[in-house]
Amino acid sequence: MKQKADVLQGTLALMVLKTLAVLGPLHGYGIARRIEQISGDLLAVNQGTLYPVLLRLEQEGAIASEWGASENNRRARFYRLTRLGRKQLQAETQDWEQTAAIIARFFDAKAEDLS
Amino acid sequence: MKSLKRFFRRVVNVATRRTQEERLREEIGEHIALQTEENLRAGLSPVEARRQAMLKFGGVEAMKQDYRAERGLVFIENLLGDLRNAGRTISRMPGLAAVIIVSLAIGIGVNTTILSWIQLILLKPVPGVSGASNFLLVEPRSESGGYAGASWLEYRDLQTRVPALRDIVASQMVPFNVGETGQTERTHGQLVSGNYFSALGLQPALGRFIRLEEAERPGTEPVVVISYDYWQTRFRGSPGVVGQKLRVNERDLTVIGVAPKEFQGTMVPLKFELWAPATMAPALLGGTRDLEDRSVRSFSLIGMLKPGATREEAQAELSTTMAQLARDYPEASAGIGGEILPFWDSPRGPQRMLISGLAVLEGVMLLLLLAVCGNTANLMLARGSSRQREVAVRVALGAGRWRIVSLVLSENMLLALLGASLGAALAVWGTTALRVAPMIGAFPIQFQTRIDEFTLAFAILLGVACGLIFSTAPALHLVKLDPQDGLRYGSNTPPRSRARQVLMGVEVGLAMAVLIAAALFLENFRAARQTDPRFRPEGVLLAAYDLSGRHPTEASEREFATRLLERLRSLPDVEAAAIATNVPLDLHGIPARPFTVEGRVRTEAGLDRAISNIATPGYFKVMAIPLLEGNDFADMRDKTAPAEAIVNEEFVRRYLNGSEALGRRIQTRAGSFVVIAVARDSVYDAFGEPPQPAVYFSYRDIPRDQGEIHLRARSGNETALTSEARAVLRGLDPMLPLYDVRTFSQHIDRNLYLRRVPARMFVVLGPLLLGLAAIGIYAVVSYAVARRTREIGVRLAFGATSGRVARQIIRENLGAIAWGTAIGWLLALEISVHAISKGVVNLSVFIGVPAILLGVAALACWIPARRASRIDPLAALRHE
Repeated sequence: MKQKADVLQGTLALMVLKTLAVLGPLHGYGIARRIEQISGDLLAVNQGTLYPVLLRLEQEGAIASEWGASENNRRARFYRLTRLGRKQLQAETQDWEQTAAIIARFFDAKAEDLS
Repeated sequence: MKSLKRFFRRVVNVATRRTQEERLREEIGEHIALQTEENLRAGLSPVEARRQAMLKFGGVEAMKQDYRAERGLVFIENLLGDLRNAGRTISRMPGLAAVIIVSLAIGIGVNTTILSWIQLILLKPVPGVSGASNFLLVEPRSESGGYAGASWLEYRDLQTRVPALRDIVASQMVPFNVGETGQTERTHGQLVSGNYFSALGLQPALGRFIRLEEAERPGTEPVVVISYDYWQTRFRGSPGVVGQKLRVNERDLTVIGVAPKEFQGTMVPLKFELWAPATMAPALLGGTRDLEDRSVRSFSLIGMLKPGATREEAQAELSTTMAQLARDYPEASAGIGGEILPFWDSPRGPQRMLISGLAVLEGVMLLLLLAVCGNTANLMLARGSSRQREVAVRVALGAGRWRIVSLVLSENMLLALLGASLGAALAVWGTTALRVAPMIGAFPIQFQTRIDEFTLAFAILLGVACGLIFSTAPALHLVKLDPQDGLRYGSNTPPRSRARQVLMGVEVGLAMAVLIAAALFLENFRAARQTDPRFRPEGVLLAAYDLSGRHPTEASEREFATRLLERLRSLPDVEAAAIATNVPLDLHGIPARPFTVEGRVRTEAGLDRAISNIATPGYFKVMAIPLLEGNDFADMRDKTAPAEAIVNEEFVRRYLNGSEALGRRIQTRAGSFVVIAVARDSVYDAFGEPPQPAVYFSYRDIPRDQGEIHLRARSGNETALTSEARAVLRGLDPMLPLYDVRTFSQHIDRNLYLRRVPARMFVVLGPLLLGLAAIGIYAVVSYAVARRTREIGVRLAFGATSGRVARQIIRENLGAIAWGTAIGWLLALEISVHAISKGVVNLSVFIGVPAILLGVAALACWIPARRASRIDPLAALRHE
């Protein structure tokens, strides 16, 4: 149970970083929307879970935030990627691709390949 | 690195919590507003749009929890919350909190004070000298078990013949008369070996110390080192003091240096002001044989191990050397071995008296602290059961076990630490009080106790330990609580808590043990004080004179004493007068001298020894020691009588096999003496000592330059004789001071001083402990009674008399108390039989203390019980 949540959080953090890297500074809602558009139902129910992740990333120094005006001219908190965040994204993307590749190979492997 | 950074952010966040909450709320609001707009654009109704947005966002509270967990340090936040809560709880029960804090403070304060004292003796036995705790005592020990001290020549031998010791230093305590003749002032100092200061690793505050070669041969440079305090008070800290002359015992000594500030000599707690080379002894002490006579054992030796050497090696080398010396000098050293002892474990002198009292005291005080903890645990437990509902609500709302435990813990820890801080403050006060140097008669004493980091840490540690101890019971109790039970309103009487009763019993038992120990200690002290010394100190005035500065001859010494006594005896109020060299019950004991008895064949090697005193005729009359056979010494002017000696009963028993004593001859180095009388045994060194053989020589035969004048007042008012005695001495020699004037009772008192300090502490702490026990019992019973108001109301309504109700409550509680008392009693008995009185049971203490304790306990039960039994049944039944 706990492990699953960790995986989700880990991936969520990566998605946040990627989103910010692609789209530039965004507020929380914008990030949620973007992740929803791409990932489908991952955030369809619990958009709120995004905020603890944002906080953690900010505490780690991967992203920074400041107040700005939203589309409808209200005060909103905008997050942007820091240099550290960019590096982290790079590293984690590599990690992720590597891991994904290995897992994929495992799934592709047939019984006869192992004998 | 990353986690560290996060940690700091979190710490900052804990501090800025409010603004952070604000920010999150705003962000959530914005998020939902944007989602709602989106939904509106998708064509939903405004209400539905908002509802969908909220749904999509998910559980706000759960998210906030996550967010908080992510943001701050949950542990610290909880702790701060708990502490705030604890602060509130404590401020709601000021009376109870005050009792707990004050009792803890006393317990911790007393323990810390005593620890600082013990620490001083164990870790810093020589103030101003680092590493003194590693010093060793080198103690010559006679076969009869006495520690006699070392002679100077023996010291010189040991210095080269115990290679495991890097340095051995010798010192001897001596009284000095400082100043010009006629206006001298009594000051205490030490005669020291040449390596004294360098081996101790001291640096002079000014000038230099005694050089090695200055204590090599007698008659070298007359120099003296003064203490820092002496420099400050007598020379106003003038830097020009070095090179000045100081008149000491009629000799001019040149001040060569000032000792460092804290240094007070190597016989703590005695405080010395002057240090002169040991080789000055003959010049300063009027021709003593200290430097050439191996049987004059006046020096104390301190040794330091060579790096890598062990105490066992040193001991082996010392034993070999002492055996060799015993063969080489049988007359002075036969039967004398040697012992290496840790510095704190001094077998004689002031340190010995202090350390034994302190050890008992610290043990008792730790028990006292334990009793305080028991008391507090009980109070907290009683309070804990009245807050079962609160805890049940917390549990029902989802508080975990650890949260409950930490709730209880933080509350108790707060109390404990408050108690510890107050205790530390008390200890600071206590150690300062100890530092104030009292004069024990002529002996200046100083304890350089202080509260340092170590003792402070000890106080806090005690506080934490106490907190943990008295948290355990309530925490366990509350954790086991079933919220359902707790929430059900107090319709049923709460299950009677066994824990509380047991704790109460334990506490009373501890109090019992401590009180008995205290009472025994006091009783022993009092008994010692009241033991018949077998002479009569009441009505006797003591005063000392010293001719050593006058370079007198034997004849002039005898003449002086004779004329002094004649004049004193002519005073109307003087019933009897005498002069003796030693006074019984002296802090430093009376010397024992070797001798041989004519016609006695010794079976063991070595010489017979007996306590020896030199006295004038009339001594036994002044002291009221009856002569069982024979008559007093011949008159001082008698030139024909042979040299005389008077022995005591024990001497006759031990050395004359109980046969006829009169006419027997005793041979000492001073000559041959004929026994002319047998005196009754009396006390010489300490109250309660076993009978010791003693021999008195006549002042006529062995005149001395120093003497203690003993005067018995006819009226019984000995202090009135002081001025007359002074006048007499002035009449004989206007320039000679009379010093150390005191009544015999004062003399005894000041020598008991070091034993009296712990005894006094017991006098204060006994009642305190009793008070604590009473408060504990009172609190427990009144809480228990308050919880049972309804039950009592029902019983009263059904016709029980209030007396019956009160009796029942008292009976229930006294049961537990009686158990505790019995166990504590047995414990104390065990300790007493094995450790204190060695098989003798002091009945008055073992019956009296429990009687008092049970009486106080019954009273502490009775007050709340009576209050409970007086309530109106109707009011009690309405009581929720």
